[in-house]
Amino acid sequence: MIKNWIHIFYYNIKNNKLFMFLNLIGLSIGISGLIFAILYWNDEHAYDAWNTEKSKVFEVINDMGENGEWYTNPAPLGPHLLEESDLVASYCYLNNWYNGANIYYNGEKEYSEKILDAQSNFFEYFPFDFLQGDKASALEPNSIVLSQKLANRIFGDEDPMNKEITYSNRKMVVKGVYKLNEKSSYKPEAVINAIDERLKHNEDAWGNYNFGLLIKLKNPDSKEKVAKQMETIYYKNKLEPSARDLGITPQEYEAKYGGFLIKLQALKDIRLGTINSGVAEGQGNRQFLLIMMGVSILILILSIVNYINLATANAIKRAKEVGVRKIIGATKVDIIKQFLFETALMSAVAIVISLVIVELVLPVYNDFLNKDLVIQGGLIYTQLVCIFIVLIIMAGVFPALYVANFETLKVLRGNFGRSKGGIWLRNGMLVLQFAIAAFFIVGSYIVYQQVQFMSTKDLGFKGDQIIEIYLRQKNPEAVFQRYETVRNEVAKIEGVKEVSTGIFDLGGGARSSSSFEYKGNNIQGQNMAMDFGMLEMLKIPVIEGRNISTEFASDTISSMLVNEAALRVMDEKNPIGKSVTWNGEDLKIIGVVKDFNLFGLDQDIPPMVFFHVKTIDWMQYNLDKVFVKIDASKMEETIARIETFWNSKIDDEYAFNYDFVNKKYERTYMQYVNQKNLFSVLNIVVIIIALFGLFALASFSIERRMKEIAIRKTLGADTKHLLITLTKQYVVFCVIGFLIAIVPVYYLLSGWLENFVFRISISVLPFVIGFVALLVLTLIVVLGRAYRAVSLDILTYLKYE
Amino acid sequence: MIQINQLSKVFRTEEVETKALNDVSLTIKEGEFVTVMGPSGSGKSTLLNIVGLLDSASSGSYQLLGKEMVGIKERGRAKIRKQQIGFVFQNFNLIDELSVYDNIELPMIYNGVASSERSKRVQAMAERLGISHRLKHYPQQLSGGQQQRVAVARALINEPKIILADEPTGNLDSKNGNEVMELLTDLHAGGATILMVTHSDYDASFSQKTILMKDGMVMSEKQQTKNIDIVVNS
Ligand SMILES: Nc1ncnc2c1ncn2[C@@H]1O[C@H](COP(=O)(O)OP(=O)(O)OP(=O)(O)O)[C@@H](O)[C@H]1O
Ligand SMILES: [Mg+2]
Repeated sequence: MIKNWIHIFYYNIKNNKLFMFLNLIGLSIGISGLIFAILYWNDEHAYDAWNTEKSKVFEVINDMGENGEWYTNPAPLGPHLLEESDLVASYCYLNNWYNGANIYYNGEKEYSEKILDAQSNFFEYFPFDFLQGDKASALEPNSIVLSQKLANRIFGDEDPMNKEITYSNRKMVVKGVYKLNEKSSYKPEAVINAIDERLKHNEDAWGNYNFGLLIKLKNPDSKEKVAKQMETIYYKNKLEPSARDLGITPQEYEAKYGGFLIKLQALKDIRLGTINSGVAEGQGNRQFLLIMMGVSILILILSIVNYINLATANAIKRAKEVGVRKIIGATKVDIIKQFLFETALMSAVAIVISLVIVELVLPVYNDFLNKDLVIQGGLIYTQLVCIFIVLIIMAGVFPALYVANFETLKVLRGNFGRSKGGIWLRNGMLVLQFAIAAFFIVGSYIVYQQVQFMSTKDLGFKGDQIIEIYLRQKNPEAVFQRYETVRNEVAKIEGVKEVSTGIFDLGGGARSSSSFEYKGNNIQGQNMAMDFGMLEMLKIPVIEGRNISTEFASDTISSMLVNEAALRVMDEKNPIGKSVTWNGEDLKIIGVVKDFNLFGLDQDIPPMVFFHVKTIDWMQYNLDKVFVKIDASKMEETIARIETFWNSKIDDEYAFNYDFVNKKYERTYMQYVNQKNLFSVLNIVVIIIALFGLFALASFSIERRMKEIAIRKTLGADTKHLLITLTKQYVVFCVIGFLIAIVPVYYLLSGWLENFVFRISISVLPFVIGFVALLVLTLIVVLGRAYRAVSLDILTYLKYE
Repeated sequence: MIQINQLSKVFRTEEVETKALNDVSLTIKEGEFVTVMGPSGSGKSTLLNIVGLLDSASSGSYQLLGKEMVGIKERGRAKIRKQQIGFVFQNFNLIDELSVYDNIELPMIYNGVASSERSKRVQAMAERLGISHRLKHYPQQLSGGQQQRVAVARALINEPKIILADEPTGNLDSKNGNEVMELLTDLHAGGATILMVTHSDYDASFSQKTILMKDGMVMSEKQQTKNIDIVVNS
């Protein structure tokens, strides 16, 4: 039986080589798309999955309303919570960022970019396997615990236990070595326990949100309750005393400054959660993952539709075979089995081809996602089996049922070829394909427009030819003096045009943010501490008053500027000369700075306050880079000169590290550029698959209409008439498919555009372009096919039938 | 009306060369009813197809209404086909996806007849051929005889100068066959020029002239002795 089936299958392939090939390739591309998406999906879902504590551990996040979400917390919160709540098992303060620094051993240095400062119970939260040392007691002040890899890098074959190393001018003893788990929200190369000291300094500082905080609940279901308890603790310990100090009631205080809203997010949900999170490894890109999944499923549907279409169209050609089989006693079930068998063969081949495609394209894909995905592990193979089964069901059952239900008599009488059976199904599928293709064309055009908009938008500053050089602090007492020395020396280097500093990142915001009150309005401003000449270097205009200048002694003592956004909140028409009490200091406004994009284009321009670094003493502790503007024509050699100077005079411990201001800002929307590129590629894939399908279907249907064409020609129809007759229906399907796509595309792309504050609005242009493109492609394919048909000798088709 | 001179048609395939028409010459005058007879493969259909401009000759001359037809392009042939020629085939060649009405209407669409005029003419033609009550049906729902009447209606709808019929009764029983023959005789009586291929002597007896073909050559041409009196209902 099977031999007979294989024989027929082989015969069919031989007779429909081109269509079978197109079909198979389409299916393979569709499957490889899905495999790509699944690999990504599996990788992201593996995060923290190993962690036995994942449902009990929660990240504490403060929702600050307009001021966004804060992932840091004040030091007293944890102890208070543990004391007052019997739902909480423990807490663990830790930095939610890594420090990158040299570790010295025996006079040798080894740079680690992921050193984490956490409380001693960190390994109860991230229970990495300990190869050496005791998990429970390894972490203590003046001890360091190393990952196996880093231990190897520092100590080689030597036993690291109890060896003394130096980190950040402190001597520390290695008390443990753990094996890192790769898929973890915290993935430190080394863990130290210096945070307790800082916590102690901040014991009562309810206003200093400086520390990441994880808590462990006895029962994960009590998360809402615990969040409420925390809000109450804030209310009692922070809000009530502050209100008392101001001489107002707590209610008045809350109305003015806002209350507290705590969100707890379980570790298991952090990676792909809908709540933003501040863990050191960052979150996965949930939206992009969903887009990938959705898009790849659409493409697979497209190729399955092709398959079904061709299989049913082909089935008509095979009607005779089926009819004969029935007459010699095959039951419906036999025939369904045969067709499922054929689909299974096709699917198996397609999966093999798609694995080859995936294997070939994986390096590019990994580059694109910045990952190391591999086809490996039981999971992906199980999923492949599922894909296989789903394929057989989706692609096989339809055509099989369709064929099995042929009316035997009609088939044998020979007039089945032009019966209407299955036409509706096929046309419906064709419309679906047009809709998917239209969705892609329009959607990717909108994405393209937004990316284009972002890369050409006037940001309000000019970062051309400006580099920022990272300056590591040495003596915390004299940061600014050191900077001044560096500035004066660098300025002398040939090719350097301007040198200054600003304690902020373009694209990332200021290093600190403080609130101040003006006319009863509360302004949460970005603290834009800077040196003279910084705004000039960035070509950011001062639109009212003046900039800080060396000519005024007061400009390093009491002068400040605000930007337009700050001014709007302050509600002040004539700001120049007005006094502001800022963190207890009296500052005078001397100018207004024109708004510019301090954050990425997904965020609004925040209120900003500008002053000289010296004005606010503690600002200098965040000073860690020097901005240098370089002569465009001498870029490379100038940077080389600065590097030589830097390595010999400024910092011989760490490698010279710089970045271009422009490129750094571009990185804030790089992922969207990548998405655009991906969509362009997928767009081509989708269009090719859809056109395959259209071509094959048009071919089949035109072939079936050859006699009709011949008759019409006999009656004197000219070529133009015939082409219209043959093409008409496809144009109608194209239009219907396009109309179907409009609403989803508009809805989903509007959702995508909500990622941005600075965005395009969806115009008719993408729709017009999409429609014209779709129509033109359709016409090319169908007209091409129809023209060939019309040019054929009509007599052949009149004679035989 | 039709002037054929030394017309030849050669079919070339990879292996063989068939001379389907070999120096055929003949003349058909306006208003004549001519039948072509001959054994299978003698080139009857080939001749008819060339006369109907469905095929082109390899050499020789073919003049229709005084104009040379050999060598003109498909566009020009389509134009003459739709204006001057009506076809009736053995296997009817109706379009199954179109209703009887639409089938009959089709040639007028290609001739650019206005739609109100079209509907009038279809109704009148259906009336004349007795298929008025079948206009909404599809070809597959009709008997062979009815289908052939639809085909005749379609061939006549543009009032062509010449009607070409290739074994119009071949697929019909004698009763239906007779009906079709009567129809053609009526048309002839009404002034139509008809060229018909047939295997039946009986059918041939309706015509004025019979051309006998063999191996692509015209063997003989004979005037009909038997004259049929026709009641002309003008
Ligand atoms: N397209 C073609 N290619 C090759 N040879 C052809 C072609 N059409 C017809 N012939 C050959 O030309 C010759 C004449 O064919 P034609 O169809 O004109 O015969 P006929 O007289 O109509 O026969 P019948 O009475 O069986 O219909 C035959 O030998 C046939 O095989
Ligand atoms: Mg013939």
